[in-house]
Amino acid sequence: MEVQKEAQRIMTLSVWKMYHSRMQRGGLRLHRSLQLSLVMRSARELYLSAKVEAHEPEVPLPPVRSPDPRLHQSREAEAVAEAAPPDGEQPSPEPMDTREAPPAEETPARCAPRPAKVSRKRRNSSLSDGGDVGLVPSKKARLEEEGEGASAEVPDRLQPPPAQAEGAFPNLARVLQRRFSGLLNCSPPAP
Amino acid sequence: MFLKFSLHSMFYGAGGGNDIQWCFSQVKGAVDDDVAEADIISTVEFNHSGELLATGDKGGRVVIFQQEQENKIQSHSRGEYNVYSTFQSHEPEFDYLKSLEIEEKINKIRWLPQKNAAQFLLSTNDKTIKLWKISERDKRPEGYNLKEEDGRYRDPTTVTTLRVPVFRPMDLMVEASPRRIFANAHTYHINSISINSDYETYLSADDLRINLWHLEITDRSFNIVDIKPANMEELTEVITAAEFHPNSCNTFVYSSSKGTIRLCDMRASALCDRHSKLFEEPEDPSNRSFFSEIISSISDVKFSHSGRYMMTRDYLSVKIWDLNMENRPVETYQVHEYLRSKLCSLYENDCIFDKFECCWNGSDSVVMTGSYNNFFRMFDRNTKRDITLEASRENNKPRTVLKPRKVCASGKRKKDEISVDSLDFNKKILHTAWHPKENIIAVATTNNLYIFQDKVN
Repeated sequence: MEVQKEAQRIMTLSVWKMYHSRMQRGGLRLHRSLQLSLVMRSARELYLSAKVEAHEPEVPLPPVRSPDPRLHQSREAEAVAEAAPPDGEQPSPEPMDTREAPPAEETPARCAPRPAKVSRKRRNSSLSDGGDVGLVPSKKARLEEEGEGASAEVPDRLQPPPAQAEGAFPNLARVLQRRFSGLLNCSPPAP
Repeated sequence: MFLKFSLHSMFYGAGGGNDIQWCFSQVKGAVDDDVAEADIISTVEFNHSGELLATGDKGGRVVIFQQEQENKIQSHSRGEYNVYSTFQSHEPEFDYLKSLEIEEKINKIRWLPQKNAAQFLLSTNDKTIKLWKISERDKRPEGYNLKEEDGRYRDPTTVTTLRVPVFRPMDLMVEASPRRIFANAHTYHINSISINSDYETYLSADDLRINLWHLEITDRSFNIVDIKPANMEELTEVITAAEFHPNSCNTFVYSSSKGTIRLCDMRASALCDRHSKLFEEPEDPSNRSFFSEIISSISDVKFSHSGRYMMTRDYLSVKIWDLNMENRPVETYQVHEYLRSKLCSLYENDCIFDKFECCWNGSDSVVMTGSYNNFFRMFDRNTKRDITLEASRENNKPRTVLKPRKVCASGKRKKDEISVDSLDFNKKILHTAWHPKENIIAVATTNNLYIFQDKVN
């Protein structure tokens, strides 16, 4: 539990740092963004493995991806953290099905897997719960909208990702959203 | 008498390997605790003779100090460094297409070897490199009879004699003028520049690319390394530093954020994406931690003067590599191993991203790098002894010998030791430089430049 909390804290902190690195003079620094995304990935893996060990039914995934298109509206396509949904990209297997995401397939630059496709997978695997199959297509559609919206709408970037919070991963998503919104309104952490 | 002399030379003789006693010499910069951001020193570099010492700051300014020429036989200390020239090298710019401000901070200064009376240096910010000429003027022509006192031209009909102007001495004036501007070649932020041993070309490196320039040509450069992946989402490492070999004009190295160094030979192909040698040390599994990846990023790489070795600096250590051995460094020195257990806090306060530089002494026997709390460390490669010293105004009487410092990692703190928790992480020494020939070092704290010399008896 402590490990989980710590991992969550680091993930949130990393997202916050990434957001604020855009505000500094000189713009987004590629090396810094890469380092932050590496830490975020490690925190996520740690969180997930701690979660799996705790045998929770839902495996929450940090929807880090969703804040990213909003955060990193920079035209600079080279921003590492920008995770615009690429077409035809393979979804990375999730620890729900496998113990650990195989690092080889997962590129470090992607902080989170593609929740849309992954959520569909997870939904399918738990259909016996009587889950809402109907949610799957609508969720995908919503993500696509967000994806398009993300690349077009600059002012929206400061909004927390409410839509993404619903769906398969309410717990962590809500926690992150709550924390993240709070952080956005807060002053920077003391150096 | 003879015995005394030989004992004396044994303890204080020249050459590396003997313990040097470092003394405070000078400190430059404001005394205020309140540091103006523009005054933060961002680079320090001696020229090839060591007579000139250049610093660059966050405000885009370059300040050059010159060593006083003293009568070496009689002097008890080496000449002091005084301000020689100050000029604004770079100004803040705005990239309208990307809506980004381009910082004027000077990232690196590199001196060209002196060819004539003038001095030349390259200075760079994130995007633009400039070649500056620094020249002296100590005479001016006087005795023109074509002008009035106020500068107006006299009526030519009133000029009845021919007078040749003569050069008369004047107060020394040092002028800096930009001779070349190398711009628009880097999409990402420039982290290194390095002048080739042919003295005609130089390289500039950003996060993903390295370009080769000719000093005379500003409108184009050759791209010699490009590690940008086709899909940016697959990016896993960036270039962190690059340097030309001191003797082989076809060889250069670049370091990465993953802790690897690649040596490239420009004769092999036009685009040196395939390295000739890859230097990488396998990770010690017992040291693996959450932040392992980011602390393995190399922040600086420097060839030894001999060209046989190179030194790399990562967050916690300095490594010396033999160019003939790729699989591990020949020497590793821990700079501040006590920080390994504090990485999480250092991540929180952003210190884990600090980029420390390192440098060799003139004979390649000692290496130096900075740390926190205004400490800096030296490692003697021959005696395997190391020392920690502090750059502080408290020791600012000239020829005061610096007292070695010690950090207490855990447990009982001895007298005069400092505990890890008392270290001031805002006081960091990122930039240090060693005189190419003598035991004179320049150490930059946040906004002050300290000059230390070895004790001369």
